[in-house]
Amino acid sequence: MPTFIVVPALVWVTLLLVAGGLVLVRARDVFQRIVALDLLAVIVIALLALLSYLRGQPYYFDAAVALALLSFVATVAAARYLDQGGPFG
Amino acid sequence: MISIVLDVVGGVLLLLGLVLLTISLIGVLRVPGTYGQLHAQGLATGPGVIAILASSIATENPAIITFAVLAIVFIALTSPVSSHAIARAAHRRDQHPAATDSGSDDTSEP
Repeated sequence: MPTFIVVPALVWVTLLLVAGGLVLVRARDVFQRIVALDLLAVIVIALLALLSYLRGQPYYFDAAVALALLSFVATVAAARYLDQGGPFG
Repeated sequence: MISIVLDVVGGVLLLLGLVLLTISLIGVLRVPGTYGQLHAQGLATGPGVIAILASSIATENPAIITFAVLAIVFIALTSPVSSHAIARAAHRRDQHPAATDSGSDDTSEP
């Protein structure tokens, strides 16, 4: 993939990451905070994918897949904690 | 020839993914209510990041494309489950406001 496409995309995704942090800080309630955290994880996955395209190395996708797994577990645990006071019951 | 076509397709997919992520972030920032925010967030966790990961076909690197397909499958499997968990927690919170109040750090109404 040409560099002149990937580098502006990286810059834009970094700006989106900063905006997502602002949404996380200025959240109105705890559910919006969880939603913003899930969205931030997705933005970081996109950032790692773009870094992998830029460098031509597939190793960054290991971190992206691991981050997707951790974000899924974290979101479900937080939602269940809000739901019934604990992740397992 | 095929390389140019793949570059164009990858660039279009990347632009589409970036636009979808931007729209989704603005939606999460602006839309009131948890269900509306989940609706806006589903645009990023579904089509947005899948479009960005699908633009890996322009790299023409088999290892990168394999990992991207793996990540697409994983995200497509897990993001509806986490959205459903958040929506169910919000629904229970709406049904029984006092019973599940222990986990909140910010119970003030907006």
